[in-house]
Amino acid sequence: MNPSPRSEAVTRRQFFRNGARLAAVTGLGTLAGVLTGHSQAKTTVWQIDPAKCLRCDRCATHCVLEQSAVKCVHAHALCGYCQLCTGYFNPEPNDLTTAAENQLCPTAAIQRTFVEDPYYEYNIDEKLCIGCAKCVEGCNRFGNGSLFLQVRHDRCVNCNECSIAIGCPGDAFRRVPVDQPYLLKTTHAH
Amino acid sequence: MNPTLYPRPLSRREFAGQVARGALLAGAALVAGPAALAAQSGQNNPFAYDLSRLSQTDSKLVRYEETGRFRCPHAEPRRVAVGPGDALFVAAGNYVTALGAGGASGLEIALSGPARCVAVAKDGTIYAGLRDHVEVFDAKGQRRAAWETPGGKPWFTGLAVGENDVFAADAGNRVLFRFDRSGKLVRRLGEKNKERGVPGFIVPSPYLDVELGPDGLLHVNNPGRHRVEAYTFDGDFEGGWGKPTAAIDGFCGCCNPIGLAVLPEGRIVTCEKGLPRVKVYGAQGEFDSVVAGTDAFPENAKVGAGETRGDSTLAGLDAAADSQGRIYILDFVTGDIRVMKRKA
Amino acid sequence: MRRLLHRLCPSSSRWLVLGALLLLNTVSRLAAEPRFPPPDFSETNHRIPVTTTPGARALWLQYADVAVLLACLAVALWLIYRKRSRRGVFWLSLFSLAYFGFYRQGCICAIGSPQNLALGLFDPSYAVPFTATAFFVAPLLVALFAGRAFCAGVCPHGAIQDLVLVKPLKVPLWLEHALGLVPFLFLGAGLIYAATGTGFVICRYDPFVPLFRLSGRFFVLMAGGAFLVLGMFVGRAYCRFLCPYGALLKLASLFSKWRVRVTPDTCTQCQLCEHSCPFGVIREPSAGALPPQFLGRERRRLGGLLLLLPALIAGGAWLGSKLSVPASQLHPAIQLAERYVRQQKAPAPYGVQTADALSLQRAEENPEAILTAAADLRQRFKLASALFGGWVGLVLGMKLISLSLRPSRTDFEPDRGACFACARCFLSCPNERVRRGLMPASELPLPVGGNAGLVT
Repeated sequence: MNPSPRSEAVTRRQFFRNGARLAAVTGLGTLAGVLTGHSQAKTTVWQIDPAKCLRCDRCATHCVLEQSAVKCVHAHALCGYCQLCTGYFNPEPNDLTTAAENQLCPTAAIQRTFVEDPYYEYNIDEKLCIGCAKCVEGCNRFGNGSLFLQVRHDRCVNCNECSIAIGCPGDAFRRVPVDQPYLLKTTHAH
Repeated sequence: MNPTLYPRPLSRREFAGQVARGALLAGAALVAGPAALAAQSGQNNPFAYDLSRLSQTDSKLVRYEETGRFRCPHAEPRRVAVGPGDALFVAAGNYVTALGAGGASGLEIALSGPARCVAVAKDGTIYAGLRDHVEVFDAKGQRRAAWETPGGKPWFTGLAVGENDVFAADAGNRVLFRFDRSGKLVRRLGEKNKERGVPGFIVPSPYLDVELGPDGLLHVNNPGRHRVEAYTFDGDFEGGWGKPTAAIDGFCGCCNPIGLAVLPEGRIVTCEKGLPRVKVYGAQGEFDSVVAGTDAFPENAKVGAGETRGDSTLAGLDAAADSQGRIYILDFVTGDIRVMKRKA
Repeated sequence: MRRLLHRLCPSSSRWLVLGALLLLNTVSRLAAEPRFPPPDFSETNHRIPVTTTPGARALWLQYADVAVLLACLAVALWLIYRKRSRRGVFWLSLFSLAYFGFYRQGCICAIGSPQNLALGLFDPSYAVPFTATAFFVAPLLVALFAGRAFCAGVCPHGAIQDLVLVKPLKVPLWLEHALGLVPFLFLGAGLIYAATGTGFVICRYDPFVPLFRLSGRFFVLMAGGAFLVLGMFVGRAYCRFLCPYGALLKLASLFSKWRVRVTPDTCTQCQLCEHSCPFGVIREPSAGALPPQFLGRERRRLGGLLLLLPALIAGGAWLGSKLSVPASQLHPAIQLAERYVRQQKAPAPYGVQTADALSLQRAEENPEAILTAAADLRQRFKLASALFGGWVGLVLGMKLISLSLRPSRTDFEPDRGACFACARCFLSCPNERVRRGLMPASELPLPVGGNAGLVT
């Protein structure tokens, strides 16, 4: 179709192209190979290390979800079952009743139930909890620290970069393996 | 199609000129972007748990002044006690150490594990409480005995010694043990008993203390009830006092006070955590004065349960009083021992 | 810890030490003290509840994502090369939008994956998930052989933009070329920030993922909305002028073995395809040989530009290293260190329990560690921003060179790199319509220009 000088040029281009493609495939292969050295079949999810959490408000304000995927969770085995829970009541309650003005939680997400004299159990209603850490601070300041924040994986969309982690003042967020997705407070100190 | 000079859709010159203009704009945006980002909030917290007002102490209420301060010789201090001749003993690390005037370390006794509490008898015998048992040493520090571990979930946090008895506050079993001086269990005190009107101890965290008053009664803190209670040696409940409030005349938080000391004339010194503060009450519970307020313990006030130690304590204070009415305050966090003297 | 060990001991003994440390860790865990016991509840025998731990997305579903990706790529290739069906590609892209976009909420994504790989290469403590590697490699491999099939039918970002496109306007050529450089620069910045552990800026400024999630901060959602409005008039604005993974695909498809061709057989030079492409990537045939009197000048120019390239790279690197301080300020550790130093110089009151106050208090506990870490990072940023500057120089230089090269095209055909393989142009070609029986051969326009003949 075309005179010979032209087709020669095409061949040169093709040669160049083939070489570059070969190089690129090799490069991709090498990259993948190098990365298998420290890659894993599992994916990771984000979690908060409760030992590093400084209990600011950013879990409530910085999550990409309308209502944060971070919730307060309760390690009941560490709880003192106090009548006057400083995670439940504000620092100077008028009365130790469940009246809203006595409660610390801005969304009344903590349920208080009587167990036996003099013990009360506290449970988090995760539909209401916004992860503001106010109760966590109250419990940590005076009590045993049985309330703490965790990323709840039934809500978390597992962003490639967690937008709370970017702003976390305690550097408390880290990626954990998907099959061990929680960093809970346990009944053993170490 | 058109064999002119530059048969290209876009010339280098046109491209370079336009790009330079564009780059200036983009550069400005790049500078403005991070600046706007940096200005993002971090300045206020609508959900703050604000204790700043409660951390201020009215200076008119403070009747004590610091006359000395020395460092505890070991990490992880837990209790101080005053022995005969106003010698000071401190339980810290795996040791019970006697401190002379000015804080110089004297006798040092190595225990078989972390020390949790200490009491010294008039004859100089030293009783050291570990998590689940008591070890006994003579005045020279020679080991005399290690007592048996009681059943249940023992977690000793306080000791007191009388003429013939040793009292051990067990926070884990929520009970006060009365031993004789040889270590034989005589009685369990303070357990909930409706017939005898004993309310029972509420101990959410390991801070149960016992002191023997000059009135011959045992004074025990009941942190979950925000009270100091008095018991006879036979376990009769003689009443209690204290109210739950963050205000200065009450006990703050979920569970306070955490430590006690008895002054020579019978007034009682109380220590609190959360809002770390040391106060003096009359023997009947009337508020007397502040020894040191929250503002005197800035490091201690910062520490929360996020930093709990091996024995589940977080920050805390303990106090002991000598025969001169001086109060020694032990700070769990800084490891300082302060000597407080009543202002003239 | 692994890095520390790396420094301390040679590889053979490293495993020994690691094993010993692990053992020690286990032993200390076994010996750990029990916590203070909770109450007994002797009256009611109340049982203490266990903290619930709702699981993350099951692992096999991650593999399913990769399988869907591979299947979509295969279907896209089949639709583009075999069926030559725009309609098929459109439906496939709708499926991808639904699956990768709205169902997977955009966070299993090829666009962000270069960052995972960069972090994995430079931070030994970060293990790259298999899915990230797969999403990085598979579309690139396809592009190396058959062009940007990923962009055409698999990427949800492209799909949502194709969906809103109503009246594509022609972007001025100079702007098209200038903005076309942005993806390369964004890619460079994204890799540098990922490699230094600063964060994933490509994900941070993604305009569409918040739309897929239907939640996000106002400003980000607005940006997404703005891109959609823009996308009504400028076809795939994000893909052309921002997408960093698109930049990689563009490079890869420059060398592709097979390419999308508008016409099944011979180009009649009717220019219909040029108007059918909303992205302006159909290139007209080259204008033939240059008059010999200009040849020498052109060659000298090209030679000059080739010589200029190293100078541009060096200049960029120099400029970049000068800008390393502001560049490093995006890193949280450096932000904290700077805030700490400012606070020490001029103490300012801060609010109760605010994030700023809490991080400052953390810094005050161990200022030494915070400051050394920041100084180390600054050093790394010096190199990183010099590299970035050099990259900018390279990109600019290559652009200038490419503007000086003379393409040799006999037909109207899509630009190898820029074509999204969306298959829109196929049906615009009269030859294709004839082939499909949509149009009688007699209605074919007469060939324009001299170098192509009409074959029926």
